[in-house]
Amino acid sequence: MITYLLFALVVGSVYALLAQSLMLSWGLAGLVNLGLAGFFALGAYASAMSTSWAHVPIPLGLLLAVLVAGGAGLLVCFSTLRLRDDYLAIVTLGFAEVVRLVASNEVWLTNGTDGISGVPSFLPRDTGLWFHLGALVIALLAVAAVYALQRRLLQSPWGRSLRAVREDETVAAVAGKNVVRFKAQAFSLAAGIAGLAGAIYGHYTSYVAPDQFQPLITVYIFLAVTAGGNARPAGAVIGAYLLVAFLEATRFLTEFAPGVSALQRAALREILVGLGLVLVLSLRPDGLLPERSQKAPGR
Amino acid sequence: MTELSRRQMLAAAALAAGTLAMPRILRAQGNGPIKLGTLTPLTGSGGSYGPSMAEVVNRAAAEINAAGGVRGRQIQIISEDDQTNPEAGLRAARKLIDVDGVSAIIGTWASSVTTAVAPVCWQSGVFLATVSGADSITQLPHGGFIIRTQPNTSLQGTKFGEFSAELGAKTVAFMSPQTPFTEAQFKFITEAVTKAGGKTSSLIYDDKKTTLRTEVDQVLRGRPDVIVMGGYTNDTAVLVRDLYRASFRGKLIGFGYAVNKQLVDALPADVSEGIYTLSPSTAAGSGAYAHVAKLLGVDAPDTYSAQCFDHLSLIAMAMAAGQGTTGAVIKDNVRKVAQGGGERVTEAVEGLNLITAGTKVDYDGASGPCDFTEVGDITDAKFRYEQVKAGKVTLLKIA
Repeated sequence: MITYLLFALVVGSVYALLAQSLMLSWGLAGLVNLGLAGFFALGAYASAMSTSWAHVPIPLGLLLAVLVAGGAGLLVCFSTLRLRDDYLAIVTLGFAEVVRLVASNEVWLTNGTDGISGVPSFLPRDTGLWFHLGALVIALLAVAAVYALQRRLLQSPWGRSLRAVREDETVAAVAGKNVVRFKAQAFSLAAGIAGLAGAIYGHYTSYVAPDQFQPLITVYIFLAVTAGGNARPAGAVIGAYLLVAFLEATRFLTEFAPGVSALQRAALREILVGLGLVLVLSLRPDGLLPERSQKAPGR
Repeated sequence: MTELSRRQMLAAAALAAGTLAMPRILRAQGNGPIKLGTLTPLTGSGGSYGPSMAEVVNRAAAEINAAGGVRGRQIQIISEDDQTNPEAGLRAARKLIDVDGVSAIIGTWASSVTTAVAPVCWQSGVFLATVSGADSITQLPHGGFIIRTQPNTSLQGTKFGEFSAELGAKTVAFMSPQTPFTEAQFKFITEAVTKAGGKTSSLIYDDKKTTLRTEVDQVLRGRPDVIVMGGYTNDTAVLVRDLYRASFRGKLIGFGYAVNKQLVDALPADVSEGIYTLSPSTAAGSGAYAHVAKLLGVDAPDTYSAQCFDHLSLIAMAMAAGQGTTGAVIKDNVRKVAQGGGERVTEAVEGLNLITAGTKVDYDGASGPCDFTEVGDITDAKFRYEQVKAGKVTLLKIA
C-alpha cells in the first residue's frame, strides 16, 4: 500500500510539473499548447538516451532534457509566430504526433516501438521503499523549484508583460513590449519544464517508449490545469495531484458498483472522469484557484 | 472574487487523500481467497480484445471455485484496464500489486505495456503471463517471472514466409503498422521467401489513417502476388477495402486475430473473399478450445482469450503443485505442470484433482501445447490456416 501511495505521489509530481508547464504557456502567455506530450517525450528520450547509451550521469541527463525540450519549444514557437488560438493548437498537436511517429519509426535513433528499457534510476531499484522515496524527493524538489520560479516570474515585470501579451498583443506592442520575445521565452521555458517532467518519469519507470506519449496525457493535463486554475502555479500543482488522486480513486469507487463486468467498470471510470470535468467547469469555471487580479505596483 | 479559505483547502486535500485509502486497506495473501489480477486493454486500440480476455479468466476462475478451488482456497480475480497505454497500464499494475496484493498478473496485450509492467512484476515477485509477441520481452532480465503463450515474432514470421511460398508467391509485399515486432517479422518472412526463390518488400503505414490508398498504390507498383498484412482488426479492414478498390487480384494473408469474424462481418463478402489467415492453434480435437468457446458462449473465441484461459489454468495448477500462492511458487512450478510428460489434461479442474491426488500432469491448452523454454517462450506452436469463403472463416488445415 505504501509503495502504491508513493508511486501515485511520484506520478502526481510528474503531472504537477507538466501542469505548471501548461500553466505558463496557456494560462499566462495564452498560447494553447496541445504539444505537451511531444515535449514530455523529447525530455524523456533525451535523458534516457544519454544516460543509458552514452552513460552520462543522471543530473546531466536531466539538464540535457530541459535544454533539448526548451530548444524544441523555441523552434516550434518561431515556426508558429503568426498563429494564435485554434491554429496554434492544431500545429502543436501535430508537433506532438510528429515526435511520437519519429520515435516509433526511426529505429536506429530511438530503438523504435520497442522503446528503451533499463533506463538508469535515481536509486538502485532493489532498495525497495528507498527507491520510491528517492524518486519522490527528487520529483518534489523539482516541483518546488519550478513553483518558486513561477511565483517569482509571475510577480516580476516579466510576468505582468506576459499577461498583457495574453490579453492583447497589439496593446502590449504599442506599450513598447517585444511581443515575440516574451512569447518565445515563455513557450521555451514551458517546454523545458515539460522536458524535465519527461526525464524524471523515464528514470523512475526505467522505460521510455513512443506509446507512453499519446495525446491522452495532454488531455489529462488540460483537465488538471482547468480544475486547479490555469493562471496560478498553486492551482496547477493542486489540480495535478487532485487529478491523479481522482483517476486512481475511480478504480476503487467502481469496485463498489454491483454486478458490472470489467469492461463496464472501465467505461464507468471514463464516465466519472468526464463527469468530474463537467462538474468542475460548471461549479468553478475558473478552477479551484482563480487568477488574482494584481494591483499596480504602489507608489 | 471566489477564494478558497485555508480551511476549505485543507478539507478538500484530506478528502482527496481519503478517497485513495478508502475501500480496502492492504490485505496480504493470508487465509482469504487467492488473488490474481487481469490487466487487459478494455479501452484504447486493444479494446476489441481485452474484454473477452478478462471475462474468460473470470468464468474459468468461477469454475475452479465451484469445484473446490486450489487446494481448498478460492480464487478471486481483480480486473484492471491498461487502456492500451504503458503509462496507464503501469499505474494499474502498481494498484494490483501493492493494494490488492495479487500473486500473478494475466493478459498484458500490447508489447509496450508488457515491457513497462514487467520490471515492477519481477521486483515484487509477481508472476506475469502475457500474450505480447515482441522478441525483446523474454530477453528482459526477468529471472523466470514471465511466460508468454503467444509464439514469438521469429516463429510467426517464418510461418508467414513459408506459407506465402507454399501459395506459389514469387513477390511478397509486407504491409504493417509500426509495432515492436514489425521489423523482426519482416526479416523472417524474407528469410523464408528468399529460401524458396522469391523476393520481398515492405511498407510501414500509420494505423490511425482512415484510408490507405496511397500506400496501396505504392505497394501494387511492385506487382506482388501475395500481400502479408501485419496489422490489427481496425487498420486491416481499411487496408483490405482499399486493396479491393485498387483491384488487387493476388492473395492476401493476415493474422487470425486481425482477420476475424468482426472484420468479415464489417466488410461485404466479395471484399473479404479468399483472405488467408494464420493463428497459433492447439492440436486438432483438443477439448480446451471448445471449453473456452463454451465459457464465452461464442463459436470461435480469439487466440488471446484462449491464451488467457491457459494462463489461469497453468497458474492455478502451479500453485497447487507447489503448495503455495506466491509468484515465486508459480514461477518454480509452472513448467512442472505445463510439460515433461504425465497425465495429459486440458483444463484446470481436472488437473487440480490429479495434482491433489499426487499425479504428475502435462497441460495442453486452448492456445497450444503450452510448453515453455527457459526464458519463457513457447517451444512449439501449431498454426491454424484458415480462409474466408463466402463471408465465413473456414478451416483449411492445422500444421
